[in-house]
Amino acid sequence: MSDRYTDIKNLEKSFRDKGLKYVGKRIFNRESEMKAAGETIYIDDMRIKGMIYGKILFSPHAHAKIIKIDTKKAEALPGVHAVIHYFNSPHVVYNGAARFYMDSSPMDMPRTEYIFDETVKYVGDRVAAVSADTQKIAEQAVKLIEVEYQDLPSSIDFNKAVVNGSPQANPNGKDGSNICGEWLAYGNATEEETKESIESAEFTFKDTFRTPRVHHGYMEPVCHIADYTREGKLTIWSSCQNVFCFRDVIARALELSQSKVRVIKTVSGGAFGGKLEVMHEVVAGLLSMRSRRPVKLLLNRKETFISTRSRHEAILTVSTGLNRDGKILAQHVESRLNTGAYAGAGPNTVGAQSEKMFVLYNGDKMFYRGASFYSNTPPAGAMRGYGSPQIHAARETHMDRIAVALGIDPVELRKLNVVLPYKNNSLGNNMHNALIKECIETGEKEFNWAKRRKNAGENQSGRYRRGVGMDIAVHGNGWFPVYQDLSTVTIKMNNDGTAVLLTGTHDLGTGSRTIFSQIAGEVLDMSPDLIEIIEADTDITPLDLGAQASRTTYIGGNATILAAANLRTQLLKEASAILKLDDSELIIKDRIISSRNDPQISCSYTEIVASAQAGKYGVQRDLTATESFESVNSVDSYVAVFTELEVDINTGKVRVIEVLPVHNSGKVINPLLFEGQVNGGVHMGLGYALSEEMLIDSETGRIKNPSFGKYKMFRADQMPKITIRTVESPEEAGPFGAKSIGECATDGVAGAIVNAVSHALGNVKLDRIPLTEEYLKSVIIAKVAADIVIEENECE
Amino acid sequence: MDNEILFVELNINGELKYLHINKKWTLLHVLREVLNMTGTKYGCGTNDCGACRVLINGEAKNSCVIPAKNLEGKEIITIEGLQDNGSLNTIQKSFVDAGAIQCGFCTPGMIISTSALLKKNPRPSENEIREGLKDNLCRCTGYVKIVEAVKLSSVRLEGSIG
Repeated sequence: MSDRYTDIKNLEKSFRDKGLKYVGKRIFNRESEMKAAGETIYIDDMRIKGMIYGKILFSPHAHAKIIKIDTKKAEALPGVHAVIHYFNSPHVVYNGAARFYMDSSPMDMPRTEYIFDETVKYVGDRVAAVSADTQKIAEQAVKLIEVEYQDLPSSIDFNKAVVNGSPQANPNGKDGSNICGEWLAYGNATEEETKESIESAEFTFKDTFRTPRVHHGYMEPVCHIADYTREGKLTIWSSCQNVFCFRDVIARALELSQSKVRVIKTVSGGAFGGKLEVMHEVVAGLLSMRSRRPVKLLLNRKETFISTRSRHEAILTVSTGLNRDGKILAQHVESRLNTGAYAGAGPNTVGAQSEKMFVLYNGDKMFYRGASFYSNTPPAGAMRGYGSPQIHAARETHMDRIAVALGIDPVELRKLNVVLPYKNNSLGNNMHNALIKECIETGEKEFNWAKRRKNAGENQSGRYRRGVGMDIAVHGNGWFPVYQDLSTVTIKMNNDGTAVLLTGTHDLGTGSRTIFSQIAGEVLDMSPDLIEIIEADTDITPLDLGAQASRTTYIGGNATILAAANLRTQLLKEASAILKLDDSELIIKDRIISSRNDPQISCSYTEIVASAQAGKYGVQRDLTATESFESVNSVDSYVAVFTELEVDINTGKVRVIEVLPVHNSGKVINPLLFEGQVNGGVHMGLGYALSEEMLIDSETGRIKNPSFGKYKMFRADQMPKITIRTVESPEEAGPFGAKSIGECATDGVAGAIVNAVSHALGNVKLDRIPLTEEYLKSVIIAKVAADIVIEENECE
Repeated sequence: MDNEILFVELNINGELKYLHINKKWTLLHVLREVLNMTGTKYGCGTNDCGACRVLINGEAKNSCVIPAKNLEGKEIITIEGLQDNGSLNTIQKSFVDAGAIQCGFCTPGMIISTSALLKKNPRPSENEIREGLKDNLCRCTGYVKIVEAVKLSSVRLEGSIG
């Protein structure tokens, strides 16, 4: 691996030296013309001959045992094909968030889900499902299913779920509690040493912060199509993010061999982590097996809110001990994540969150403790950030409180404590090209931080109060070193000198297919539009571990370089034989290989392919290349977010004026797509900070706002100006120097907003998001009351 | 009666369609499930997201809440009807060029809203653009490049006119 790794870095350098042709260019998303025409076929647009429709009966109870299910009336309804439920279905336990080999570790991915279980554990859990000739009949049929439930004690409110002695939301909780898996606890010192160091420091701070359960809000509702045929083959189409994982889980749950399950990713209408885990594909599959017809299972928007996945609600306590200069001596984070009714990605998200503890700040003693907890609420799961937005919101607001208390500029406090490039962090890991300090400095200048902060701080009277704030955040690039990370890419030459690239990665509208075409195009000196990119089909494309962990460009891009470099070598070798020149004497330009000295001596890719197939200079062969890339470096992407906003102290309403993120994502492969990621990440972060929260009734467990009308995502007229800046120094381990952007784009937004709102309100303590108008009004009223008391005391 | 079937004539993209429909069917249902015109998207079904927008007599409307039976005699234009002799029209092309399309699921609705907006107001200010798009949700783009696409459309259309 290491030799190949050096080889591709040398090859990359040779391209950089002569000037990059496609990498770094603003090329629009290759799917966009079809999408603009309305001609792209998303999964709900698919029409398969003989297709019928599925519908799920969702639990109205937060926690109940199913005593009896009577399906006679439903089955008697004309047009109904199959009715499935706990009493007539395979009962194999699985974890829909499983990630291959990680699947073997009970610590990471406890198996707690069934297609249907004897108990329902949240409002929205699956009770039964039907297939019918039309959507309408299917809807009527589920209403005719009669279910007898026996209520069980529940833990709906997260405050209750985390307390020992509360009812178990899921029987897999550890030792009778709601702890999912185990506590994860580690650092560069013992927990006792860390706590002692914090308490004995000159300055000690401790804050608890709450973050909400939010939904991905992808515009395309969840939809699956399953087609089981006489030969025993089940094909599943899903707008998903991890086909190979899906194949494994579906095969397990339905007791089929993996060769008899094919999972095909459809064009993504938005995912953001919300389509990373197997949800109702197993139901669609079983309905198709029982009906012997293709079955479409489309959730409506309400069902998409109540029975899919969401971001883990969290309670975090951050404690820090510092010296007078503001240097962190010790820091401790204790985190509790709400994983909902099933384990899913709970413990794994805790693990991902824990890493962020150590790769942003250095301290002599750093310790993280975290666990996820079951509750009788919809399952949480992967969502853009994966544990990261929570810890950053909590720690970055805590850091700002420290800055204010110590009278240190928030920018300076961070510069003093951040990790440094190519130095070891507190755990002794090399930080690679971690340019967070440069991000802060760039933002400070570009945002005109000092002046804007001062101006806003001085103008603290009147109804509208200006606030200026910032924060910083970090995100990884793939699973390594926690787990081994791997992707394989195949590139095939066509007879006319164009190419097809096969990858198991998933383009979620992010533009990864475009990115790979640019990278392969650069290496093969072929215009990207001549390279077809085929993605994510378990029977056709090579292995990949899914669109997660900000790994697609970093891991898939490196695999693409390896495969393209292999093919380039084959092309050069054949050309060398054809032209009777040593390959060191050859150059490639626009799919023509020629003599370095005499451009007239040349051959085209078409001629080379023909020569290889004819076996003119060796065995007859097809020009294809398949290469796997395994990650050997843990690198991180960084961002510093600066913002200015205005708070209406009469209403508590916040108007964000500008957000300026400075990203260190290494070399940007495609600025147009990169900016799209950043803008979307800011949008998602603003909702997280100010308006989005899935509200759950603590008595019934029902979601109170399962619609786009009541779940408030930012609209076009609410968005601030977004100014994007980058620190683009290449990361050597990345493809052409690139690092990730997808998740880092949203990780730091909420903390910066909270810090700016706090600044606007005279450095008031804010201990939760979202900062709804109602919450801010209560904070403002309390602050006014406190200020009056202070003034009165001063008068005395 | 829920299942009452009606006969209607709908003018969709300049073509008269003669259809037997259930009186409760929405225009979105008729477009997608009866006519197989899937460019118009189902996003919410509750009049909240704008993914299902079409032009009805030039006004952008959410087709998910409009009964199809009410639309006889009206001119309905869908995303499929915007093309210019088989090519993307100026607005569609501008969305592509501005990089305004990521997952693309909101795109048809956004383009429909843009068409209505620019027809009424050929040179909208940024605030007017944002106001004109506020009934269309997008989760990918932060609306930044969508707003740029509308500006680009406006410049290109105005340029071509005059």
